[in-house]
Amino acid sequence: MTTDQKDFQKQFEEWKALTEKLLNKFPEKKEEFVTSSGIEIDRLAHPNVLDETYMKKLGFPGQYPYTRGIQPTMYRGRTWTMRQYAGFGSAEETNSRFRYLLDQGQTGLSVAFDLPTQIGYDSDDMMAKGEVGKVGVAIDSLDDMEALLKDIPLDKVSTSMTINAPAAVLLAMYIAVAEKQGVSQSEISGTIQNDILKEYIARGTYIFPPKPSMRLITDIFAYCAEHVPRWNTISISGYHIREAGSTASQELAFTIANGIAYVDAAIEAGLAVDDFAPRLAFFFNGHNQFLEEVAKFRAARRIWSKIMKERYGAKKAKSLQLRFHTQVAGSTLTAQQPDNNIVRVTIQALAAVLGGTQSLHTNAKDEALALPTEDSARIALRTQQIIANESGVTDTVDPLGGSYYIEKLTDELEEYVFNYIEKIDDMGGAVSAVEQGYMQREIHQAAYETQKKIESGEEIVVGMNKYTLEDEPKPELHRIDPELQRKQIEKLTELRSRRDSSRVSARLAELKEGAKGDANLMPLILECVKDYCTVGEICGVLREEFGEYTGV
Amino acid sequence: MKKIRVLIAKPGLDGHDRGALVVAQALRDYGMEVIYTGLRQTPQQIVAAAIQEDVDAIGLSCLSGAHNELFPEIVSMLKDREAEDIIVVGGGVIPWEDIPFLESKGVQKVFTPGTPTKETAIFIEKAVRERDGLSEEVYTPPKKIDHIGIAVSSLEQALPFYVDSLHLQLEAIEEVPSEKVKIAFLKIGESKIELLEPLNDESPIASFIEKRGEGIHHIALSSDNIEDRLQELSERGIKLIHEKPVKGAGGANIAFLHPKSAGGVLYELCEKDTKEAE
Repeated sequence: MTTDQKDFQKQFEEWKALTEKLLNKFPEKKEEFVTSSGIEIDRLAHPNVLDETYMKKLGFPGQYPYTRGIQPTMYRGRTWTMRQYAGFGSAEETNSRFRYLLDQGQTGLSVAFDLPTQIGYDSDDMMAKGEVGKVGVAIDSLDDMEALLKDIPLDKVSTSMTINAPAAVLLAMYIAVAEKQGVSQSEISGTIQNDILKEYIARGTYIFPPKPSMRLITDIFAYCAEHVPRWNTISISGYHIREAGSTASQELAFTIANGIAYVDAAIEAGLAVDDFAPRLAFFFNGHNQFLEEVAKFRAARRIWSKIMKERYGAKKAKSLQLRFHTQVAGSTLTAQQPDNNIVRVTIQALAAVLGGTQSLHTNAKDEALALPTEDSARIALRTQQIIANESGVTDTVDPLGGSYYIEKLTDELEEYVFNYIEKIDDMGGAVSAVEQGYMQREIHQAAYETQKKIESGEEIVVGMNKYTLEDEPKPELHRIDPELQRKQIEKLTELRSRRDSSRVSARLAELKEGAKGDANLMPLILECVKDYCTVGEICGVLREEFGEYTGV
Repeated sequence: MKKIRVLIAKPGLDGHDRGALVVAQALRDYGMEVIYTGLRQTPQQIVAAAIQEDVDAIGLSCLSGAHNELFPEIVSMLKDREAEDIIVVGGGVIPWEDIPFLESKGVQKVFTPGTPTKETAIFIEKAVRERDGLSEEVYTPPKKIDHIGIAVSSLEQALPFYVDSLHLQLEAIEEVPSEKVKIAFLKIGESKIELLEPLNDESPIASFIEKRGEGIHHIALSSDNIEDRLQELSERGIKLIHEKPVKGAGGANIAFLHPKSAGGVLYELCEKDTKEAE
């Protein structure tokens, strides 16, 4: 045995000892894991000889560079969080869907807001016409947020909110509701998406120009580091980049490049990397090409840990760990033969699990046509429950690790990503690349190539360009109450007459002052929402100060 | 001919413009001039842009579910501004049950997910040409000779010449009960030779052989939009054997023209649906 190998052996022994210690605190689900044949399942399969390549590229789960996972026991200890994105119509309707999902065994909430909320318009704004309550729940004021979270114990349930430009406002409302429930802000846990760069690139719900948007984001980082320590302050999202048509390597590269931009902005704002980096989370797409997806997730962890360590000198283990949520790819769902989508979702979800995801949303089969019905939403949840409880893939950590092909793909994706990052660095970083429309163009080109391949039949989409049916059955779809906008406007009008309007104007004036200077805006926004200023009013004040982004 | 101008617009607040951008690019590649509005356009802005840019058609894309409110509003504003000659089509995440409503409000066509972009382009082109009274120019000429049909008494006896002597590749043998024939396809370049053997005495091939002996039976032309094409031919006074397309070999839609209108040659139009199941 060489000195190196002795060293590796020693590291292995240390890892085993650490894992044992961890097990005393967080035992695994079973004492012993065995296959149907009675074969004992190792926690981690690994090569007999631990050589340099293995240790450098893979190492052990829970250790740098985290290729094999961020925890030593992964799903043997705890299954991923099953987090179904839901929200539609009024706060009351969404609250009852949430409670249904929790009763069905879902373990975390994920709130979808309607577009006016996401773009900072109240339900009675001209711009909101036709959009109220359509793609998510309509939230105008703290009143709606209270109804949304009614009877949900905020000290126990973690909540993810897909909110970006007005993330500070919705987080403030969540904090305010928790306090009304008697739960302090230090106890709540959850995630806000808060990733504005990918809004400019791919998702489109931006409000302000990049610079003030980055300020809002770093204000949230700073506020939460001090007051809301269990909150994930950002979910750096490749999901929408992929949905917009990028390749897997572009998804990874642009997401990580955006991540670098946020870290830079926070450091520039005076934060220490180890103070905010542990609360950075990621959000990826679970797409069709199964093996490439598994490799993508593994590569993501390795790349991020290297960047945090080598580029930023982060010290804390949690700063080096890339934690991520996965949603399976909505753009792969077909309107034709929607039952087939259940199968697509299963394959995509399995890739996320074999890639070591921390939480997962599985799409419903009818989402190419409308928002899911209760039935289709349940099947989507059951899909991940079947993977978790029946497939056995959770019994060992990183089961595909060591596959020649998977490791090669992981290496190659890493190389692609570092090449892209170098290019983006040369352009002056992600913010500047976005302003130049670079990523947008790359994605559009990839999307168009895909479309051409589908139309020529080179890429087969079962049920759509091959194996089609002449007469498609017409499934039952979820309908949104067409009266909702009117009701929501009535509610808002009633609120405006009920609240203390002098306090409202005072709070908004304070926020305006704060926005002019460089105060942290989070406490000011919190005061605004507590006095029932609306999302539209708060964002309106900030629009006046910051201006609006209008695209490139 | 003047290029068709199309405005691709995103009404409402959703930011999903992958579809809009892909369709815009596909229409450009098809030879149209395309203007894209960008995100979050109000109906007023879209109508104003359409009039200012003097477009022939507007393609609306909406994935947020606000289509029932926004699409009809755009159509009615066009009417108010006396611009109802602008053709409006739409697409996005639109439930099937909303389509009749939208069409009744004047949206000419709703394209659901999975529609090939070329279909959209052809639809717009045709609608614009029809509006301008130029419908006869809609059609592109037949793309190629799909196959030449040869009547044989027996495939078994005929095939060795083609396969062994000419070294052509036999692609498939199948029976087409509707035509009472058994056929063999042999690939030659981008076309085929189709050998037809009568299945019984009632087969049209049987009577052909009886009257004229074995030999060349018909020429098949590959065609788009076969139904429209048949109608056009019929309007021009061409006699048709099939007024409507029927299913032929390989699941293709086919129709025969009468030799009386074609100088004694039997022509077949043949449209292969690329979406056909295999």
